[in-house]
Amino acid sequence: MKRYELIVIGAGPSGLSAAIEAAEAGMQVVVFDENGRPGGQLFKQIHKFFGSKEHQAKVRGVRIGENLLAKAKDLGIHVILDATVLGIYKNKEVSVLIEDEVQNYKADAVIIATGAAENMIPFKGWDLPGVMGAGAAQTMMNIQGIRPGGKILMVGSGNVGLVVSFQLLQAGCEVAAIIDAAPRVGGYGVHASKVTRTGIPLYTSYTVIEAKGVDSVESAVIARVDECFQPIPGTEIELGVDTICIAVGLSPMSQLADNAGCQMEFAPGKGGNVPVLSETGETSIANVYCAGDVAGIEEASSAMIQGKIAAAAIARDLGYIDDIEFAEKKTAYAESLSKIRAGMFAPGNKGKVFEKTDEGFTISDSLLTKGYLSESELSAFPALDASGGTHIVIECTQNIPCDPCQDVCPAGCIIVGNTITQIPKLDKDKKCSGCGLCVGVCSGQAIFLVNDQYEDGYGTVGLPYEFLPLPAKGDVGKALDRSGAPVCDATVVEVRTNKAMDKTAMLVMKVPVDQLSSARFFKAAEGGN
Amino acid sequence: MSQIIVRTKTSEPFVPLPDDDLIICRCEEITKGEIRKAIHEGMRTLNEVKRYLRAGMGLCQGQTCQRLVLNIISSELKIPGGELGRITGRMPVRPAVMEAVGKSTEHSEGVERYDR
Ligand SMILES: Cc1cc2nc3c(=O)[nH]c(=O)nc-3n(C[C@H](O)[C@H](O)[C@H](O)COP(=O)(O)OP(=O)(O)OC[C@H]3O[C@@H](n4cnc5c(N)ncnc54)[C@H](O)[C@@H]3O)c2cc1C
Repeated sequence: MKRYELIVIGAGPSGLSAAIEAAEAGMQVVVFDENGRPGGQLFKQIHKFFGSKEHQAKVRGVRIGENLLAKAKDLGIHVILDATVLGIYKNKEVSVLIEDEVQNYKADAVIIATGAAENMIPFKGWDLPGVMGAGAAQTMMNIQGIRPGGKILMVGSGNVGLVVSFQLLQAGCEVAAIIDAAPRVGGYGVHASKVTRTGIPLYTSYTVIEAKGVDSVESAVIARVDECFQPIPGTEIELGVDTICIAVGLSPMSQLADNAGCQMEFAPGKGGNVPVLSETGETSIANVYCAGDVAGIEEASSAMIQGKIAAAAIARDLGYIDDIEFAEKKTAYAESLSKIRAGMFAPGNKGKVFEKTDEGFTISDSLLTKGYLSESELSAFPALDASGGTHIVIECTQNIPCDPCQDVCPAGCIIVGNTITQIPKLDKDKKCSGCGLCVGVCSGQAIFLVNDQYEDGYGTVGLPYEFLPLPAKGDVGKALDRSGAPVCDATVVEVRTNKAMDKTAMLVMKVPVDQLSSARFFKAAEGGN
Repeated sequence: MSQIIVRTKTSEPFVPLPDDDLIICRCEEITKGEIRKAIHEGMRTLNEVKRYLRAGMGLCQGQTCQRLVLNIISSELKIPGGELGRITGRMPVRPAVMEAVGKSTEHSEGVERYDR
């Protein structure tokens, strides 16, 4: 029997953050993860995260994971991989399957940070090969380097469905459509716009009713649904796809908490069965804590803070930090948590429909139902600058917790303010230098650099671009509008990359001036690029 | 067992549905019709359906079908999902070969299982 002061189950963002916090306080910590690679979901999140500097906004999930691992290593934390925790007993004993043997460990405290599992929806043919969770598709392409399929139907327009659709495109797959049974897009408008401008159709009020195929998926039948989510006969559309990805939510993997004897509750808002927790994440059993998605589906940013709070509480209980230090930490972490849990998509606002932003602007109906802003609705927002020359256009129209654009602008043109859910505004007294940093760092890819005086009759649009191979100066193609429809010919005049933009390029394309407010994506002509 | 639970068939007759052949528990290949029938034969909770049919006892331990079975019971009996219990989390929460469990290193004295 091996003894530690703290056992952490799960090496995802919350487990690793908890282990680091505890080790920094001087505790002896072991972390188990059933995967061969630590980092949990983070290692498939190749996109940039939202939030503020303190939440590591504008950093890609995978880098946040790398940083956590490096820190854990420095602190001498034992991270044991390919180690599946099978059960928790009284006295905080934990059974772990390591190789072909069950080993037992004992600790003064246990943190369960086992994350979540994907939900599925059953339909005719859903057990055919080719139907998979969107998270599974993400693991295949971003961890194992395997394309999950050639042509894909994405079911679910929450952030997972939208983000994975974008990543499927990046991996070279074709996405036939994104559908959602709800009448509105579930995820952030900026994530939706990012995919619709590439030409992926997004159908709200649609569901999948059948996967057809002999040995694997050969096509998918979708249909419109009525208000009771029942398919309407006669509205079926058959899409030729070889893969159907399901992104309809996650359920906490709370079986270990249940097995440990923790009091449980069924909380639909948190994703299902979760342990009843105190403010610091303690379960009904003293010194058994839960943190991260297992405690309720949220985000990596909040999972990390929850992990730290749990570890700090344990460090206090075991005498590693005093009450004063704990109180200080708790206040700081709680504040950080409340910042990231704010805005229209906050955990408490699940299912709510907002018609206006906090500032009183009308939310774009087109954004909610089709996934992209209409030009007329956009013009009501404050981040449009009609002044001549080089200027930016910020198409960020919902209250989401994010502010890197404000930090990165060297000229101080962009104002979000202290409340990071505010919609960015432009300071009209400041002059945009045209550096394009904001275009490259915006996690929502919602900022464009427009120059209406490039040459006679022509202007340029600088847009965030994350596809390989990168087009080069002189390449020709089509400019696509927000819906992904081609609007005019376009020529690439510059492709800007730099370290601060971390692999997001700013592609600058030349288009006629009358298309400057509609051209938002570049599609290279077939054959060349 | 501290409690004797009486289970009787529902009063309404079992009406087959066109999608009764839909597989719900992929690991154990149990269909929607089998689950609906089990409910009409008196099963009321997730654990009962699990023990009656093995739905949720396969490789994934109900990770995928638990929610789907819950929805079926809930709509058949018109009872909110929160009142239908859950598949009890038990050691081993993941499939493990018996040999590995047999090789288990010792527990400390007086260790008690929480298994119910
Ligand atoms: C497509 C997608 C996009 C996302 N984008 C963002 C984003 O932009 N910003 C953001 O903040 N969040 C994002 N998230 C959410 C974020 O990834 C999760 O909220 C976060 O990873 C939860 O962290 P966690 O530590 O609780 O769980 P996880 O990251 O799931 O880690 C849990 C770990 O526990 C291990 N484990 C489970 N059971 C056992 C066991 N019995 N024994 C041993 N180990 C076990 C697992 O192997 C896993 O490594 C996204 C999620 C998805 C799917």
